[in-house]
Amino acid sequence: MTQFLQALLSGLLLGGFYGVMVLGFSVLWGVMGIINLAHGDFLMTGAYLAWLMFRTFNLDPFISLVLILPLMFVVGYALQKILLNRLIERPRLATLLVTFGLSISLANLHKILYTADPRNVPVAYNGSIELWGISVPIVKAIVFFIALGMMSLLHLLLQRTRLGKAIRAAAQNKNAAKIVGIDIDRVYAITAGICIALTAGAGAAISPTQAIFPFMGQPFTLKAFTITVLGGLGRIPGALLGGMVLGITEVMVATYVPGIGTNFGVALSLILLVVILIVRPQGLSSGLRPMNEDRS
Amino acid sequence: MKLHKNSKKQTEKKSFLKKWGGLILWILLLGFLALYPYTKVSGIQLFSATQVFMLVTLASNWNLIGGMTGYIDFGHTVFFGVGAYMMGILVTQAPLAFAPRLSFWQALPIAGLVALLLAVSLGWVTLRLKGSYFSIAMLGTFAATREIVRILRPLTGGGAGLDLPPVLNRLGEYYFMLAVMAIVVSSIWWIRRSDFGLSLLAIREDEIGAEMRGINTTLHKLVALAIAAFFTGITGAFWAWQNTYIDPDVVFLESRTVEMVMTSMLGGLGTVWGPPLGAVVLYSIQNIVWSNLLNYHLLALGILLIFLVLFMPEGILGKLGDRSSISAIRLIQRWQKRR
Repeated sequence: MTQFLQALLSGLLLGGFYGVMVLGFSVLWGVMGIINLAHGDFLMTGAYLAWLMFRTFNLDPFISLVLILPLMFVVGYALQKILLNRLIERPRLATLLVTFGLSISLANLHKILYTADPRNVPVAYNGSIELWGISVPIVKAIVFFIALGMMSLLHLLLQRTRLGKAIRAAAQNKNAAKIVGIDIDRVYAITAGICIALTAGAGAAISPTQAIFPFMGQPFTLKAFTITVLGGLGRIPGALLGGMVLGITEVMVATYVPGIGTNFGVALSLILLVVILIVRPQGLSSGLRPMNEDRS
Repeated sequence: MKLHKNSKKQTEKKSFLKKWGGLILWILLLGFLALYPYTKVSGIQLFSATQVFMLVTLASNWNLIGGMTGYIDFGHTVFFGVGAYMMGILVTQAPLAFAPRLSFWQALPIAGLVALLLAVSLGWVTLRLKGSYFSIAMLGTFAATREIVRILRPLTGGGAGLDLPPVLNRLGEYYFMLAVMAIVVSSIWWIRRSDFGLSLLAIREDEIGAEMRGINTTLHKLVALAIAAFFTGITGAFWAWQNTYIDPDVVFLESRTVEMVMTSMLGGLGTVWGPPLGAVVLYSIQNIVWSNLLNYHLLALGILLIFLVLFMPEGILGKLGDRSSISAIRLIQRWQKRR
């Protein structure tokens, strides 16, 4: 029983992290229709930034989040203005190829900058506390609450502000949004900025809990895709729910199926994706735009 | 319908040279390559030529599903890897009690067929959908298969890999790969002109329209992927034999997928002669320019891919050739009009 509860807790904590990790991917897809294959690599960039600040200034990763978020917002804004804007009207083929190229470039750029050696951020409080016989890892719990906070903030931004209204309008119908006077390029650039910042922030947040290396990104891209299909495009509760499903399944399999260990995550999310596609080919919920929309 | 605007041009009879010129040049080139080992060449030169043939074969296969059908496959290396591992397992181990160890020629078709089966079972799920599911599912399959191969230690040797019996025969390897390349490129030339190939192009340009004209799109996509996977599996099996050592990291190499994509893009997406041309150009660039900067190789490839898509999506053939004769051009012109 204790083992089960322990696994459930680990799954929940992991799921919360997945929920915030997926937001950038999901909103970018929902608003602009861009499937960002470089998603995991932006997460890796965030983790490396946190490591860099920890090493040079001895800055705690959760404090350096305050610096990383605005920095990566600017990066995302510029990326949209320079690169992604050229892709919006093109078929998915071009988008996929460019983001794939971006992914490879980013991963190998980091390999050149920091070598392929795995790095870690050993924070002082990287232990766990006992609660009713279950050990709660402190860092992962902090990540979980930060994730919930970020999700609530994004939810408020999208639902309660004029900017959020503009973003949702741009997602629903671009031309109609233009007609009512929304500066679509600016809205897109801000959205991309938010998405990239969130992704890098998620990377920075988990930097104390796992090894950081240049090619760590790809599994996250794949998991993000599965979770988005599970939870709907740009739907924040859906992202959280999908993240929980994947997180708990992953931990349960690692706990109860012998001989597999924790490195089975990608295969598991792939199996989950295939099952969803067989059962409900149109995706579970639509969110900001219909999932099966074909732009080419 | 956009297709009807050009219908007059299409029904005009193409000149003899336009229709057969490429094939004649190709046969001449094959003839020359078949005689090439009789000139004074070193083993290294034969080996490099074999590598180029392999790149042409892989890229042509990728081009069939990625270029002609328009379903970008980011995990095509998985078929290569499955072929390589089937060869490794069948040659070095006796996985079933009653089955003896096989020889190269016995294992080769099995490796191809297993890759084909994997493609069919995957495609059956992911190719029914439009959109990008296929691309991501293939990327996932690639990463997942690498994990699974690591976990199945008794069969695949896990991270330690498998050693195949070393048989060094550069000349035999050269002719084998030349034959595979000749078969693959010639079949793609034939496919491109057949009803089947035209249906694939129709799927790429307007999938809903193609479906309405009575094309069974799912079946067509599935067959295209199956053909591509079969020959990729064969190539992978051959590579395992040639390399005499396989482990998950050298077989499931992401840069192999990148090279397939790049070769097709560089030569001309969806064209028959694009991948052979692109392979020669890419191989030359890699050997002349980047051989000193090995670290920057993939970074440069990634940046080059972005620039190609943005500024030269029609590839070298599209830039050089008669624009109307290359089908991909119409698609690209449509992109440009929209911008």
